Amino acid sequence: MKALKQLFCTACLSLAALAGAPASAQGTVNVYSIWPENWARPMFQEFEKATGIKVNFVRFSSGEALARVIAEKGNPRVDVLFGGPVETHAAGIKEGIFESYKPPSFDRLPARFKHPDGQWVAIADDPLVFMTNAKFLKENNLKAPASWNDLLHPAYKNMLQMADARTSGTAVTRIFSVLEVNGRDENKAFEYMKKLRPNVQLYTKSGGGGTLPVGLGQAGGGIFFIVDALDTKAKGYDVVISFPKEGIGTAAEAIALIKGAKNPELGKKLIDWASSPAMQNTLATHKINFLPAHPDVAVEPSLAAVLKDAKIFPIDADYAGANRKRMVERWIAEVLNP
Amino acid sequence: MASVSAAEGPARGLAWVRQDPALSAAVLALWLLLGLFVVFPLAMLAARVFWDGGHFSLAGIGTILTDRHQVQAFWNSLLLATLVGLLGTVFGFVFAFTVARGGLPRWVVTAIDGAVLLPLISPPFTTAIAFVFSFGPRGLITYELLGIKGFTIYGMGSTLFSEALTYFPIAYLALRPILAAIDSNIEGMAMSLGASRWRVFRTVTLPLCIPGLANSFLLLFAASLADFATPLILAGNAFPVLPTQAFLQITGMFDLRGGAVLSLVLLVPAMVVFVLQRYWVSQRFYVTVTGKGAGQSPFESVAPWMRWALVGACLAVTLVIVYLYALLLYASLVMAFGANHALTLRHYGVIFTEGLKAIKDTLVIAGFSMPLGGLYGVLLGYLVARKTFPGRRTMEVVSMINYALPGTIVGIAYLIAFNDPPIELAGTALVIIACYVFRYGPTGIRTTIALLQQIDRSLEEASQSLGAASGTTFRRITLPLILPAFFAGLGVVFIRSMTAISATIFLVSISWTLITVKILENMTELSLGPAAAFSVLVIAIVFVVIAAISWALRFFRAPGAEPVTSLLGG
Repeated sequence: MKALKQLFCTACLSLAALAGAPASAQGTVNVYSIWPENWARPMFQEFEKATGIKVNFVRFSSGEALARVIAEKGNPRVDVLFGGPVETHAAGIKEGIFESYKPPSFDRLPARFKHPDGQWVAIADDPLVFMTNAKFLKENNLKAPASWNDLLHPAYKNMLQMADARTSGTAVTRIFSVLEVNGRDENKAFEYMKKLRPNVQLYTKSGGGGTLPVGLGQAGGGIFFIVDALDTKAKGYDVVISFPKEGIGTAAEAIALIKGAKNPELGKKLIDWASSPAMQNTLATHKINFLPAHPDVAVEPSLAAVLKDAKIFPIDADYAGANRKRMVERWIAEVLNP
Repeated sequence: MASVSAAEGPARGLAWVRQDPALSAAVLALWLLLGLFVVFPLAMLAARVFWDGGHFSLAGIGTILTDRHQVQAFWNSLLLATLVGLLGTVFGFVFAFTVARGGLPRWVVTAIDGAVLLPLISPPFTTAIAFVFSFGPRGLITYELLGIKGFTIYGMGSTLFSEALTYFPIAYLALRPILAAIDSNIEGMAMSLGASRWRVFRTVTLPLCIPGLANSFLLLFAASLADFATPLILAGNAFPVLPTQAFLQITGMFDLRGGAVLSLVLLVPAMVVFVLQRYWVSQRFYVTVTGKGAGQSPFESVAPWMRWALVGACLAVTLVIVYLYALLLYASLVMAFGANHALTLRHYGVIFTEGLKAIKDTLVIAGFSMPLGGLYGVLLGYLVARKTFPGRRTMEVVSMINYALPGTIVGIAYLIAFNDPPIELAGTALVIIACYVFRYGPTGIRTTIALLQQIDRSLEEASQSLGAASGTTFRRITLPLILPAFFAGLGVVFIRSMTAISATIFLVSISWTLITVKILENMTELSLGPAAAFSVLVIAIVFVVIAAISWALRFFRAPGAEPVTSLLGG
């Protein structure tokens, strides 16, 4: 029994060592990233190269990340919420989870790329696009969809994939795009979404979830952020990117300092860096197809070529933030589970 | 002398504490742990559901029970679990019957065992991944092979099939010893009395198997009820089930309370199944082992054409499993599945660089959970089976709670209980380890109890009457006898620590993450290559560790003890 007890005590001691947060060493900033790892990681490596500050991060889709930050409000575990469509951050403001901070770039940023008090600032811009499988279009004698109504064509029945508004910021941006092209007439917008529902094969948990099925032809098409769509194309899948003539929304990708952060100074340094050309100039180098938010950073030429003639409008952050919850709930009740 | 006098009558007052301090210390420690990691989280969960602004309220339950979508999800869950239970039991029975009565060569049986083991030791959604590859609108089988256009994979059918394929090995492992234990000479006698083969099967073999069939149905029912990853990937939007809804309610809608309510609803069928299994089925096993009978005559009980049909069916299912896993291996080795089939080791490069932290974290957590879970199982099982102390029965039941509940409930309960002070464990490895120990350790408890029931108590009594303290007796006499249970407990806790996700997805944090969570993340981002590579890695690690444990077990195996694999099912 004595030996057993000894074993038990040793185990308990080692467990106690495990329980301590291992990443609170000096020079490490803790981050929830909404950007997928393959984009967040090179950015954080660049940051570490530039400043010597290590980034300890975990990736969640926007809904999950926001849920975490809210749940941890009394005892925050990260310093910065990195990336994600700005409406995620707008929804967070109401919960009082962010600390206002205005980085040096603040004054240079256009109004739509910053919260007036500095609750968040934009680090990139990300328009939605239609993405369709080339073979699917050919088989069905279709042209790439050039209007929201083109997606209602019966050939798409059960062949579209797009994100689930319960977990994805992509989906919320999409819903607000539909609202916007319908002049914010909610009933008209939801009428359209309900008509689109039979064509949707699957609402995916994350925004990019449908890209590969479209690439593989498991789905015929869908609505995605340009960054995901171009990534699919770059992997070698035969997909077509198009824009609706009525216009489509774009969402600023934002960054915010968490209220009560344990390392606020390091968090601010990350925000300074991410909102400046220092980071946004490296986006193109790493083939990450976000549009830069900072006016001094030029859009990479091939990306600019894709966007030529596209009609793109920003989603109003205030309107979206104020109505997000209601719209998502209505979407669940009327569109997802009719 | 303590336990001798205790065994003679119920302990009076606190006398047992003074008589055997080691025992009372162990009991106290276990109660503290059970209170902290089993009772407390569940109480917090219940409080979150029923406690509204300082007073008791049923409103939380009411909102959910009147929401027809959630009600639909509830019935869907029950329907799916029932069908998985039925289909999986049929698969399992066909396999067990074929292996026991088919007269197959040894190497075929070994091959079948190996293939059947695969779903048991892989992350729960591995078959789901392979399903998407194979049966989608452009799936390898549905489109490339059969030329079906527009086949819809998302829905109940594929979820059912994928879960049945994943969980039927549990039924197979539960039924095989039962069929093997039925003396085929009994069947032979019935036949020589003029009964047809079908009549023998119907009136002799099947009735003897009924408790085993019921047991495996309940095991599969519970497994399906707890599974949230397969529906998340395959069920689509037309077939919501409760564990997935609870997950989305929390992670997507930030609604901890709603998630708690949903998982509490899940508690009802889970507890019913547990009680049925524990108190009804387990008392109805009437197969008796009669020692070595005369030579078995396996060929007689099955007609030749039937034998071929059975073998064919088993081989077909085995081939499907092998195909699914071969596909997974292939997907981990090509650049971009479906677009660029050039061979590459890139995805393995990715998981060993970017995914290295997850691999390390998982191994550390599994490495700690394994000995702690094994120790916990043996200690508690030993005390419950051999010692008499107040609250012994209660302790046994309480220790089974986390094991019987779907992982989603346990995960949410831990999240609620340990996020804020006074007991702030969220974000640590400890909370994940505790979750595994108290959720999967009970397999060791059950094995220990079962094993001790085969060992005569007089061995220990002899040691004690010769003057050994109960600690010494435990170490010198009992411990060697229950080592097989200890190793079995180790194996199960390790496998689950490497593959489970339903509870721990709520407990990962910035400091500690898990491979399974990475796989799910990659799956939902549809980075299939890394997801497949991670899965292959997990399977390889588990295979190696289980092989090592089985090898170690060979030295300690008591005669009549079950092989370690048969313990995975519980």
